[in-house]
Amino acid sequence: MEQILTICVYCGCGCGVYLGKENGRVVASSPSRNHPISQGNLCVKGWHLHEFIHHPERLTTPLLRKDNKLVPVGWDEALDYTARRLSEIRDSNGPDALGLLSSAKCSNEENYLLQKFSRAVLGTNNIDHCARL
Amino acid sequence: MKETTVILAKDNLQGLLRKLGRDKSLVAPVTNQWGDTLYTEITDIDGTELDLSKQPQASLKGFFFPQQEVIQTYDTTAGYEFTPQRHIQPTLFFGVRSCDLHAVLYMDMIFSSPERDDAYFARRQDTTIITLACTTPFANCFCNATGSGPFMEYGYDLQLTDLGDRFLVEAGRQQGEQILQAWGHFFEPATEEDVQLQYQLSLEAGGRFQRKVEVEHACRILASGEVDEQIWQQLSARCADCGGCAYVCPTCTCFNIRDAQQEPSKGERIRSWDACTFSGFTRMAGGHNPINSDHALQRRFLHKLKYDVEKHGKPSCVGCGRCVDICFGHVDITTFIEAVVED
Amino acid sequence: MAGLATAFGSGAMTNSINELEDVDVVIVSGSNTTEAHPQIARRILAAVDRGAKLIVIDPRRTALAQEAHVHLALRPGTDIALLNGMMRIILDEGLADDHFIEMRTENFIALRDQLFKIDLDEIAAITGVDRQLMHTAACLYARAYKSTFCYCLGITQHICGTNNVQTIANMAMLTGNVEKENAGVDPLRGQNNVQGACDMAALPACLPGYQSLADMQIRQKFKQCWGVDVPLTPGRTVLDMTHSGHNGTLRGMFVMGENPILSDPDQTKVQATLEGLDFLAVSDIFLTETAQLAHVVFPAASFAEKSGTVTNSERRVQYMHQVIEPIGECKPDSTIIAELAERMGYEMYYESMAEVMEEIALLIPIYGGMHHDRLRSSWGLQWPCPNRDHPGTPFLHKHYFSGGKGHFTPAQHQEPFEPPGDAFPLTLITGRIYHHYHTGTMTRRCASLNRESDKALLQINPVDATTSAIRNGDLVELTSRRGTIRLWAQISEDIRPGQVYTTFHFSEAPVNLLTTGAADPIAKCPEFKVCAVKVARVES
Repeated sequence: MEQILTICVYCGCGCGVYLGKENGRVVASSPSRNHPISQGNLCVKGWHLHEFIHHPERLTTPLLRKDNKLVPVGWDEALDYTARRLSEIRDSNGPDALGLLSSAKCSNEENYLLQKFSRAVLGTNNIDHCARL
Repeated sequence: MKETTVILAKDNLQGLLRKLGRDKSLVAPVTNQWGDTLYTEITDIDGTELDLSKQPQASLKGFFFPQQEVIQTYDTTAGYEFTPQRHIQPTLFFGVRSCDLHAVLYMDMIFSSPERDDAYFARRQDTTIITLACTTPFANCFCNATGSGPFMEYGYDLQLTDLGDRFLVEAGRQQGEQILQAWGHFFEPATEEDVQLQYQLSLEAGGRFQRKVEVEHACRILASGEVDEQIWQQLSARCADCGGCAYVCPTCTCFNIRDAQQEPSKGERIRSWDACTFSGFTRMAGGHNPINSDHALQRRFLHKLKYDVEKHGKPSCVGCGRCVDICFGHVDITTFIEAVVED
Repeated sequence: MAGLATAFGSGAMTNSINELEDVDVVIVSGSNTTEAHPQIARRILAAVDRGAKLIVIDPRRTALAQEAHVHLALRPGTDIALLNGMMRIILDEGLADDHFIEMRTENFIALRDQLFKIDLDEIAAITGVDRQLMHTAACLYARAYKSTFCYCLGITQHICGTNNVQTIANMAMLTGNVEKENAGVDPLRGQNNVQGACDMAALPACLPGYQSLADMQIRQKFKQCWGVDVPLTPGRTVLDMTHSGHNGTLRGMFVMGENPILSDPDQTKVQATLEGLDFLAVSDIFLTETAQLAHVVFPAASFAEKSGTVTNSERRVQYMHQVIEPIGECKPDSTIIAELAERMGYEMYYESMAEVMEEIALLIPIYGGMHHDRLRSSWGLQWPCPNRDHPGTPFLHKHYFSGGKGHFTPAQHQEPFEPPGDAFPLTLITGRIYHHYHTGTMTRRCASLNRESDKALLQINPVDATTSAIRNGDLVELTSRRGTIRLWAQISEDIRPGQVYTTFHFSEAPVNLLTTGAADPIAKCPEFKVCAVKVARVES
């Protein structure tokens, strides 16, 4: 079983966690003994960090609303449609008619890219996340 | 002098492991770039440095009894059909300390009766364990008090003792004898001096324990009497309910089984570690819990130090000390033992 | 964070988590630390075992409060009054650090004048806290050389959240308990990368690294890198978006990894807003309550299926290694964003996340030395880390505050937006429990965690339970002016009469159906922690 170091996704403590991988699946979580925060222990959430990764309810294909139902579609269709609708709204109602919510669960790089997308591509500062919540 | 006792020059270790790793995967303690020592599967023996000087942060438990595994798949399309999932991986474990091997022997016993646990033995079969006698116990260790170290007396395939530039090698079981026979050219005969030196090291190791944990004394008290209610309450108040003690414990073998539906009529039966310290372990369907939170730790400590003594003649704590550092509230088994003995 | 930024010039934990082990006195306010931040609670308890004194300010008798030397069980929403009272006591006892005030702060006179107008009996009446206890706590805090003040959402999620934080900063500066190791003001961050999302300016009113939207030089720097002018007008906050109303001026949204239907207050309003949009796209790992309303849903890769960095509560930027390939057809959010940008005519190609980080290091001075190669092989670096040779910064504001001098901003008590009354006689407090996390999207799907805690409980004092003929374990209905939810009663002495407590992890009992949309005017933090409710047993 391969052990790969990552950081716990829950609270702001930021514990170092090893995820155990077997046959392409994440099947175990354990603390890093030397990590400055976890120092060898994890709370109950950290010890079960692997449990949601392969949950059967994970989304695995893009979904597009057709006849008021979300149906599986290919990536190109979902992305093309989204880019077109965002452009249409920006062009007819102005960029500030669009709003983006980023996530305290996503990485720094992703947050950076989304705000860049908001400011440089859409042209609006309407971007926030749940820091206040 | 034991029957098969030989010497392995340290320079020959890598060559021997390469041979042994031909038809088995090789697992040994390795310290990674962040300073954490883990039992690691070694794929590149030339590029990997073994670290036999530190205690791996987890025991071998997860290799035979993983934190989570699919033990069966099911299909209810036409009646109930279960297909067992068995993971067989012939493995050679090298550099295992006596506490961890004692724990494996304990698990072998637990998982073989009353029913043989096929999922466990699929992983356990065809494994060889080469132990390393502890000449310098680690900071939290107390295997001398639990009768599970620092040197193995039985149960190993091969036991190595570090004599400086060479290892003294003892064959304990048939698999060990086979290795010595098959790869005899790596070994040379042990002299009386080597055997005396090993004995001297075992004497000295006994004196190097940094902790004195009165396991036997506590077991005697627990066998005859009740634990003061206050002790349970004080310990439980500081328990963070993380389950870490049970998860890291090499002899905690409680598990939960659940079915995860993948498709309407198909799914997986998953076994995962459980901890008797969790309230959900005993909570009944209606919400009533016969064990209140003041006694969260009771089951675990009494199982290790009282019930297993009654059943198997000795405590099932192997004194590896891993639960000491892992505990958020310093309410590990050594705190409990101290409290019981002081009382 | 607005409050702390005004006082100290920077809104983040001033200390490192491990420094908490060596404090002399620690105040914990509005934080159920043992359940929500177990690692921080562990340090605090280690300090207590070493002889440090612990003061807990919380209406409830939390596990930490049970270990405290002084527990100030204040009436919810009266933090400012309590801290002002304590500061008055500190002044009266001559325990203010005059030298620190003189050297490192400004506007002290305004605070002093206000404190001298305070009547401590009145404070005791407002807060419900005994004067003697207040006195003990104030003296403990002020007399120690190394005092630290930890707080969490119990401080910020009030209509006066910004003032609450400023008051905490006032008290720390009054006693000189900042700008040194083991002493400071430590907001505990609730999410693994809430600090990073703020640092990256997933915020409407600043550019990455808290840089000014209006500063010409900074705008020029971004223009050079991004190739376009950055919009000048500050944008909408999350509540300005999700509460903007059905058919408002907001017409389209893209939500990446959030679930406002459960996380934002006043669920009815949020739902109406999202349903009224012309277009809603959601990227998430599960079909959340919000994704169910979307026109397009993108399957995102989980944290184990991608690499990148996150920033924890103590400003430590850490690298997360990819563990497995994305499952199914999932893609990392970074890929989804870049693909959308390309389709909208903007080149956003990066070879790797390391390349994105290089751009971040270029634009954000406090991240100037943060590069993946440094972060991958270490335990991360704490910002500010301005260049490659910089070792990072364990505690902030050494020698001087990042905003120049520390600024005192006096604040006055303000009653909560919705006090209890005849129709809704109880005060509802909300929070987190140990086994679950936020809207439960992840933890409710962890079988072991969900077994430990599978339903929403309402903590209620035996007195109130008796009044409403509620027994332990009864199904009850909890109603506010905005809605009703059903959950199970848990009778407990840990909550005071007149107050009830529950959590926000359960979509079957969405507490945000009850909570008010009233928010702090500056930080726009909604008043999640206080609203008026009534409770009734559900007849079977």
